[in-house]
Formats: sequence, structure tokens, C-alpha cells
Amino acid sequence: MEFLIDVFGDAADFLRDSAGELGAVVGLTLLVGGIATAVAVALGVPLGITLGLGRFRWRKLLLTLVNVGMGIPPVLVGLIVLMLLWSDGPFGSLDILFTPAAMVVVQILLALPIAAGVTAGAVSSLSRDAVEQLSALHLGTIRRGVLVAREAWPGITAAVAASFGRVVSEVGAVLIVGGNIKGETRVLTTAIVQEARQARFGAALALGMVLLIIAFVVTGSLTWLQSREQADA
Amino acid sequence: MPDHRFRNLRWPQENPVVEIDELVVDDGERLVLFGPNGSGKTTALRLMAGIIGPVARNDVAYLPQRPYLFRGTGRSNLDLGLDTHQRAVATALAGSLGVAERLDGAARSLSGGERMRIALARTLASDAGMVLLDEPLAPLDLRDRERTAGIIADALHGRSAVIVSHDRASAAILGDTLAVMIDGRIRQRGPTGEVFTLPSDDMVAEVVGVTNMLVGTVVGGDDTVSEVSWFGHTIVAAGPHPVGERVKVLFGGEVVAVHRERPDGASPRNVFRGTISDIRSVGRLLEVVVDCGAPIAALITPGSFETLELTPGSEIYVSVKALAMRTVSSGEAR
Repeated sequence: MEFLIDVFGDAADFLRDSAGELGAVVGLTLLVGGIATAVAVALGVPLGITLGLGRFRWRKLLLTLVNVGMGIPPVLVGLIVLMLLWSDGPFGSLDILFTPAAMVVVQILLALPIAAGVTAGAVSSLSRDAVEQLSALHLGTIRRGVLVAREAWPGITAAVAASFGRVVSEVGAVLIVGGNIKGETRVLTTAIVQEARQARFGAALALGMVLLIIAFVVTGSLTWLQSREQADA
Repeated sequence: MPDHRFRNLRWPQENPVVEIDELVVDDGERLVLFGPNGSGKTTALRLMAGIIGPVARNDVAYLPQRPYLFRGTGRSNLDLGLDTHQRAVATALAGSLGVAERLDGAARSLSGGERMRIALARTLASDAGMVLLDEPLAPLDLRDRERTAGIIADALHGRSAVIVSHDRASAAILGDTLAVMIDGRIRQRGPTGEVFTLPSDDMVAEVVGVTNMLVGTVVGGDDTVSEVSWFGHTIVAAGPHPVGERVKVLFGGEVVAVHRERPDGASPRNVFRGTISDIRSVGRLLEVVVDCGAPIAALITPGSFETLELTPGSEIYVSVKALAMRTVSSGEAR
């Protein structure tokens, strides 16, 4: 019990004494996670809408790939991206390995299937009447997509929340391609691993609490938005 | 005359519930697909609209049986897929259909009838040459159906339409022609009055009944009945209509009484003299078609038939009580 009380004390000390370092880690976490989520949602939601409405040739194959992508181990994705970006790899000339850019790339690959898969699920659960009415309206692709996105808004909000959750909680892949370099590629999850490895449980706990608060604020806001939309419907 | 052809209406491909090789709709024709529940009317219409089946179509305006309004207001739904001019037309139609004041409210707060009216206004405002309507009057109150049917007829304005209905009165108002669907196939097709009065066989007779539909012009009446001029006769029938209006007078063959002599003591109202032009078997009953200037069909029992000694060419009288007849607007564009 005394041990745990000491850990909480150390956590408070860390928050007080390391505000600058913490700010940089939190800032990079939000920047990398925010960009990755935005790109994954921008690509994944239209893909999910297309898959959800269905009636084209490669739909089943694409849906299978998306479902596989949702469950793929992040360290494997990290390893593949590492090899692709390695100096001798096919994209080595980009020279972005162990930079935030590489972390954004790997997080997009992790979040994209989730954004697409959750959206596809939400769209395919629209009622038959809604889908029939949509077909009857003969709208252009973009107008149709916007209408569906609006109709499936609660599901798409869930897709955004799940994508962001995947991105900020992921550690293996970003550790592999980012390298956890202090002041450059260290984010909250990799920092927690670093502190825990060195038995600085107080610091690890403090970072974990900050991560929890971020996740709570983001998903809480999305949930609020979701319930508001449902009330307006 | 240009026409619209729908070929190979078959669904599903294996063990089809609808199988129509070809359906041709003349330019300006309003064809009602009529039949009992489960006869394949809606499936046939969905095939025509390209909602199901191999052919996707964007040259038709289609109103589903259960129109769906998306998130937003009634107005945002009314405007969907329409250009500026069509939106103005849709707004005017929404006004005629009595939902103008509901357009600014949330779509989800609207009743089934209001949703149907908004979707109907949007569908009719489209400039498609072929309009497909699935039970457009079904969610409406009985008192609104006739007026709405008149608005539909006006809005179609000479365009072709296929309209699904399982209600005789709605079918009579909405269509010029009628196709009776039974078990996924068209069993009889022709002018509405002809199909109603002269069903081609027992199955059609069972579906549509033997229904007389006389089209005439209102020449008088009061708060309860209209006097309708029809082929030199004056028919008195239930339902007030303004003088000069074209109306259809509907009544079943079973309410038509047949007499060898002019009925004693009967009022001169709705007694018509004519010649028997046809006698046909309809199930266990007999249909006697009497030419009174235009045909009136009477359903009688074999016992009455023998007692009256009826034969084709016989001159007889038929009578119908005014309250057994119903008048509806003819649905002709005014």
C-alpha cells in the first residue's frame, strides 16, 4: 500500500516538475494523432460509405481487407513500414524514418481500416427505405455521399472516436518507426513504456493519466456531438 | 405516338415472383397497376425504377411505397435532387397538398401522411417523362385521397405514369388504364372502366370485383348527392360535387337490380332501360352486361337468371339506389 502511495506522490511530483517535457510529449501526441486521425477519417469514411452502400464488383474483397486491417497487429504494420522506409527500402529516399512523419504514416495505416469498417457498418445498417429513397433521388456521387454521411452521422462519429482511440493508444508501431527519441518522436505511449522500463512508475502513471484525460475529452466530445445529432434527428 | 417500354421485368431471376416480358406505357397514359397484396405490383414498379434488377435507370421519377425523409427539415428533403425551377414547383405542390407550413419543421417529426405528401411533391416536381408512384394515396385520410388524386393528375400534366394501387376507388381516380396483376403477371389490361365492368375471367373478377364505373358531368345535386349526366340519363349518386365537374360514378355489380318490366312504384331515379349484350359466368354468379348507351354490369344468382328468363338481346330495366353509388373526381386534368 505504501508503495502505491509513493507512486502517486511521484506522479504528482512529475506533473509539477516536468511540465515543459510533458507539454512537448502531449503536443506531439496530439499533432501526430490528430493528423493521422484526420487523414484516416478523410479517406476511410468515403471508403466506408462506398462499401456500406454496396453493389460493385470488388466490394466483398475490399470489405475483407478492411476487416483484416481492423484486427492486424500494430507491431506488424510498424515492421512493414520500417522496412519500406529503411534507407535501402523502396521509400528510403523519403528519409522520414524516426521522424513524426513516419509515425503519422503508420498511424494512418492503423486507423484507416477502423474508420472505413465502422463507417461501412453504420451505412449498411441504414434502413432499406433510406437506401431505396437514396437510389430514387438520382443524386451525384458527392451529394449522395454527403447525404449518407449525415444520415449515418452517429456511426461516423463512432468511427472517428475509434480511429482516434486506436491512434493515441498505439505503442508498438510508433516505437518501431519513431524510435521514441526524446524531444523528437516521443509521444505519450512510448514515454510511458520508457518510464515503466526504468521503474519510474510515478512518471509513467502521470503520463498515463494525461493520456486518459485526452482520450476522455476527445471521445466525450464526440459522444456529446453524437447524442446531440440523435436528438436533432 | 412515343411510348415507354419496360422489357423483361423479372425478379428474382430464379423462381421469379414477377415475370412480365414487356410493359408499354403510351405517352401521357396513366396506368394503374392493380392487384391484391403480394401480387408483385411493388416489385414490378421497383424493377421499372431500376431499384432492383439489372437495369439502373435515371430517366424516371419514383415514389417508393414508404418514402423516407432524411435528417434535416421538410424543406431540405423537398429540395433534394431538384433544380431551382423544380424547387419552386415542388413548393407550390407542397402548398396544394397542405404541407407548406410543415416544411420548416424537423423531417423526423412529420407524420406518415405528411412525409408522403412532401415526397410526392418532390417526385411530381421532377421533369422526368415517366413517373412511378407506389400507393401514393395509401397513407392519406379517406377525405384527402380524392383531392390529392386530382392534384397528382394535374401535376402529371400529360406525362406518362405507372401508379400502384390496391384500392378500387383510388385506382379509378388515378388511372386512365388499368393492369390487373395476379401472381406476378398482368392478367388483364385495358381502360379502367372496361376492366372494372368486364373482368376477363374469374380470377380478375375476384380481384377487382364487378365494378361499374360511369364517367359523366355533374349537372346538379345537393349536400349529399350529385346529379350526373351520363349518355342521356341523369344518375343520382352519393357524394356532393360542383356543377360542371367530371366525375366517375362507382358501384358494384351486386347492387344492380334487374327487372323485366319497369319496376312498380320505383322512383324514376337511376332506372335505366337497355339491351342485354352479354351474359357471363363469374364464379357461382352470373354477370349480365346491359347496354344502356354504355354498359352496366349486374351480378345475379342463377336462380334469378332463370326466373327472369334472360337472354342476350332481351330488353330489360336495371336500377340502382343512389346511396349504393359513389362519386369520385374523374382525375382528368383541369
